[in-house]
Amino acid sequence: MDGQERKHRILMVSDFFFPNFGGVESHIYYLSQCLLKLGHKVVVMTHAYGKRSGVRYVTGGLKVYYVPWKPFLMQNTLPTLFLTFPIVRAILIREKISVVHGHQAFSTLCHEALMHARTMGYKVVFTDHSLYGFADAGSIHMNKVLQFTLADIDQAICVSHTSKENTVLRSGISPQKVFMVPNAVDTAMFTPSPERLSCDEIVIVVISRLVYRKGADLLVEVIPEVCRLFPKVRFIVGGDGPKRVRLEEMREKFSLQDRVEMLGAVPHAQVRSVLISGHIFLNSSLTEAFCIAILEAASCGLLTVSTRVGGVPEVLPDDMIVLAQPAPEDMVQAVKKAIDMLPGIDPQLMHLRMKKLYSWDDVAKRTEIVYDRAMQSPKTDLLERLPRYLTCGAWAGKLFCLVMIINYLLWCLLEYLQPTEGIEEVPDIGPIHAHLESVDDLCETQGN
Amino acid sequence: MEQERKGVVSSGMYTYNHHSDSGFDIHEIFVKTSRSRVLLSYIGVVFLLANVCQPLLSKEGLSSSSVWSITFGILVAKCLQYKPVKKESVVIMPTFGVQLEIHFWSGKVHRRFVPIGKILKPLLNECVTPVTCYWSLALLLRDEEELMLVFQKSHPPVKMLVPVWKALCKFLNSEYLANSSVSKPECPEHD
Repeated sequence: MDGQERKHRILMVSDFFFPNFGGVESHIYYLSQCLLKLGHKVVVMTHAYGKRSGVRYVTGGLKVYYVPWKPFLMQNTLPTLFLTFPIVRAILIREKISVVHGHQAFSTLCHEALMHARTMGYKVVFTDHSLYGFADAGSIHMNKVLQFTLADIDQAICVSHTSKENTVLRSGISPQKVFMVPNAVDTAMFTPSPERLSCDEIVIVVISRLVYRKGADLLVEVIPEVCRLFPKVRFIVGGDGPKRVRLEEMREKFSLQDRVEMLGAVPHAQVRSVLISGHIFLNSSLTEAFCIAILEAASCGLLTVSTRVGGVPEVLPDDMIVLAQPAPEDMVQAVKKAIDMLPGIDPQLMHLRMKKLYSWDDVAKRTEIVYDRAMQSPKTDLLERLPRYLTCGAWAGKLFCLVMIINYLLWCLLEYLQPTEGIEEVPDIGPIHAHLESVDDLCETQGN
Repeated sequence: MEQERKGVVSSGMYTYNHHSDSGFDIHEIFVKTSRSRVLLSYIGVVFLLANVCQPLLSKEGLSSSSVWSITFGILVAKCLQYKPVKKESVVIMPTFGVQLEIHFWSGKVHRRFVPIGKILKPLLNECVTPVTCYWSLALLLRDEEELMLVFQKSHPPVKMLVPVWKALCKFLNSEYLANSSVSKPECPEHD
């Protein structure tokens, strides 16, 4: 076991990273920071965001490559299949990467980078953050792409057991290759309010994107009913989206302007201050692989009411969450149960329990085990890997084989045009400190 | 005219040469271009001129094919603005500034002078393009929004850029020291 103490050099690839805010973005950021603390080297690759292009260093010396490929749809890079090969190859060689870790099935840059890394013989790991369906056209195509990527993956990670089941069914990958490593929450940032809120008026907080997937339509049914049954209850709704109009209409229709407060989009830094102003957190998502939002709420000492969908039942212990079917009547019953439970809830105790249950350091240690396992997988060449793609389907299998053969030929061409020796390796720059020799000389001469 | 050879490093397409000449510190990067490439580029220019002149001289009038050939000729001329570079050099002149020179195979020399007061800091920068990533040496200038590239036409490897960067840093620090000792005459003497 001690022989596996060696440090990895990891490339995280995704279309979704800072300055975007979201579950995948914060997962990559926190995981990278904790891996850096463990002594590994982490580099992140993503596409350029507006003028933010080139190499940037963020906290802790985390190096980020903002590659100047413009996003074309929903923050995704244009899928060119082969055109990203030169830059991916340049980054892999100059940073001396050992493992490539892709995030999110919806990210085209991730799939392309994993394909190129695999062709070049690097070990690849993939993390799936979302649940997807099986029936509609978009899902069918997305699942085919996922099958292609996961046909030849070393290890995969899912954020909940439900997500693991979903990924295995969608992609046909062997379950032994899939690890379950949950997300976590930054408990240092999400602390409860120092004074307990009085229970005279009960405040229910909702913070989510107001879209169909997040159950905004359910909210439109639930809020007026709860307000009618419980005169002491007030709502705070944070977030923005296409369904905001429906919520505003609901407010007008039932004259709930003084009982439902709409905050609009809440910047990530202010989420905690909104959460600590409430007693109960309401999550009405119609599908969730994990749901970091309820972790944040529990860390702030709020009791959670949520729909029983996806991976949500796996996230919190039963005394911290009340689950309901995604139907208005059930949700109203759950809110009633939560209001009755409220006097017995101690926010500080809840926060301390969350600190023990979830931490990003734990996630990083578990991910390290996945990397160790990935490094142990045997080296394979192109001829051994091609049959794995043939299992993807009658026509798709042959198409995928063709794509990989073309990719391999492209790699040979790049090796000829720009040999590996011509790509210089980058020196590791540690945490920022004065390292100019002439500055030291300057200090010496001034001190003399 | 004392010349002092300080170092020669050669790698792939580029050769780095460092020598000092009557007080000036000179760093040169030679670009290895084979003679045949230079010759081919001149032949290319001749063909281009012939291609453009032929429809004009044949007195057929401007037909669509001649318009096409002229347009094509202009496009190729744009691409062929490839003036083969023989060497790029950095001449550090103490108390004056830095002179950046590009010597072409045709014998032309393009010079830019940057006075010492204009330079804030020399930087080693990683440049990311859609297809590759490379190191470049640039000067951060006062009151200017854009960085000035020291080696404009060539991309030498970083091991050749580092000694030039160190020399520029040393040059700037010595100037800073000289200025600070001049501007603070009332400081007590240290022994």
